[in-house]
Amino acid sequence: MSVNKNEVLLEAHDLRTWFEIKKWGFLHVGFVRAVDGVNFKLHRGESISLVGESGCGKSSLAKTIIGINRPTDGELVFEGKSIKAASDGGMSEYKSEVGFVQQDPYGALPPFMTIQRILEEPMIVNGIKDKAERQSRLEEVMTELKLTPIVDFLDKYPHMLSGGQQQRIVIARSLVLNPKLIMADEPVSMLDASVRVEILELFRKIQSKRELAIIYITHDLSTVRYFSERIWVMYGGKIVEQSPVRELLLEPAHPYTRALLAAISEPDASNIDKFKKVPPGEPPSLLNPPAGCRFHPRCEYMIAGLCDKKEPPDFELADNRITACWLFKDKEDASDVAI
Amino acid sequence: MAQDNLLVVENMHLYFKTRNGIVQAVDNVSFNLERGKSMVIVGESGCGKTSLGRAILRLLPENVCRYDGRCLLNGEDIMELSDEDFRKKIRWKKAALVPQSSMNSLNPVIKVSEQVAEPVLLHSLVDDKDEALKRAAAAFKKVGIPVDFLGRYPFELSGGMRQRVAIATSLITDPDFIVLDEPTSALDVLTQANIMNVLTRLKQQIDISFILITHDVSTSSEIADMAAIMYAGQIVEFTDARTFFGKPLHPYSERLMESVPTLEADDKLGYIPGQPPSLINPPTGCRFADRCNERFELCSQDPPEFVVEGGRMVKCWLYKESGERYVS
Repeated sequence: MSVNKNEVLLEAHDLRTWFEIKKWGFLHVGFVRAVDGVNFKLHRGESISLVGESGCGKSSLAKTIIGINRPTDGELVFEGKSIKAASDGGMSEYKSEVGFVQQDPYGALPPFMTIQRILEEPMIVNGIKDKAERQSRLEEVMTELKLTPIVDFLDKYPHMLSGGQQQRIVIARSLVLNPKLIMADEPVSMLDASVRVEILELFRKIQSKRELAIIYITHDLSTVRYFSERIWVMYGGKIVEQSPVRELLLEPAHPYTRALLAAISEPDASNIDKFKKVPPGEPPSLLNPPAGCRFHPRCEYMIAGLCDKKEPPDFELADNRITACWLFKDKEDASDVAI
Repeated sequence: MAQDNLLVVENMHLYFKTRNGIVQAVDNVSFNLERGKSMVIVGESGCGKTSLGRAILRLLPENVCRYDGRCLLNGEDIMELSDEDFRKKIRWKKAALVPQSSMNSLNPVIKVSEQVAEPVLLHSLVDDKDEALKRAAAAFKKVGIPVDFLGRYPFELSGGMRQRVAIATSLITDPDFIVLDEPTSALDVLTQANIMNVLTRLKQQIDISFILITHDVSTSSEIADMAAIMYAGQIVEFTDARTFFGKPLHPYSERLMESVPTLEADDKLGYIPGQPPSLINPPTGCRFADRCNERFELCSQDPPEFVVEGGRMVKCWLYKESGERYVS
């Protein structure tokens, strides 16, 4: 089986997910614009990293994509079909095509179920009645995730496993239905550094073997290079930059991306006398976001009269890069804006 | 040697009694920290690094079954003090703690200024509350919180600001050193960088030492002068941070450094197969031997602490001959 990597698997047009805030249960106060006008194209077999600070809306976007949150506006198109228009049956079919890997493995595994039961559950729910088929699929994913010898695991409960093994069970569970897309919400942030890399490498291997599309959500830019081809940077409910990983790390375009990269620590003894450059202020409230570009109150390159008035559209740059920043108006390359 | 040591820890043991047996959380740990320097204790979760921090400050749970060793602060053995004397003279006056996730343990119904001022009032360092609040305002300034935040409640502050409040609380009594347990691990990259800037500035401005407990090798390089690597309840390497980040000696430290992702390097990441040993009945020989790819016959015996070139301590048989790495 080989997939056409140029074929679009999932597309979002002006996707918005707003949550209503009420006072005393009925008075309307406002909306939290967690996802506010997101556009993207995800190709088959592509591994994407979604990076952003906490509270920027990345988990809300993830939940909207896997169908837990219904979008307020805009649409998601999966394999050419709009999900908004889908009936309940179509929706559950879509959900079986999308796997979800949760952040905290211990919280994501029910403590009263055996591993056998945990891995079988999605197949039972999705109507795979043949017991032998279920068993063979279960064994296949467990071998892929190196949870061997399989019989040692099947009768165990989650608390009997180590953190790394638990996370591998969570990944295995997301794979049993042979999905086309996996949404992985910070899959390794709860694990120790020495195990983290092992899990990421294993996951990456499975991704390329099965030709899965993956959206890997993280706040840790330094692991992205080992996992993804492309990266989306999210700020204040919007995607502000989309770029291939290498180009972004070498030459970040959006000022926010530059700030993120500058803040990352590397194990280097010369750090000790240096101060990091950090933009002042805090991420915006999504209840009442600033007008114009949402980064403008913290941005040192703010163009008065433009950035604080008009929202920047997506500008396309060379190397298949997109950035939503006025600095790149009529520019062709990230290096055209020297900062 | 005319070395001015702030803190000397010798043969510290801290064992806990559990239903399954005795957990050797801190097992024969020794190190010394010079005045004005800061150190970092790095290790995986469950290696005993938090227990070591708590053992120094004598903040112990109920189920301790062995707690001994020597701990000299400014030359005085603080292990000899009674609990009451320790509380009155040492804890918070000389040595303060910023516990793990302390930013989430602020009292939600008390203004932050009063929570920050509490230690000086309890230790009767000032005469009245006004004086205490003045000291709180000074502490806020040191950690970079606007003074008009004094009257706010914890829920009105962001995560980074709450972490600064926790650091201010530990600074207010002017201690000699502060133990910071994972101060940045729950924060975002930008906030993390901000907190590290605060700590670096404090180090330059006032005479204080930090003992940073973390699993994150990258951020620890921002403030550490000395690095202690902990594995399964023991310190396996203790060295000057400048040489450590360039060239770790112990095989565990080497593997740990290889597993740290970096932005520029193109090398493949390494990882350590297997799991750390249980601290109940740990192996009698070197505790890392099972996961080490340079294991040889001697490793079935417990390695002593070898001191090699530059005064670096490493607990590994590879360095048994005068500091030269042994090649079998």
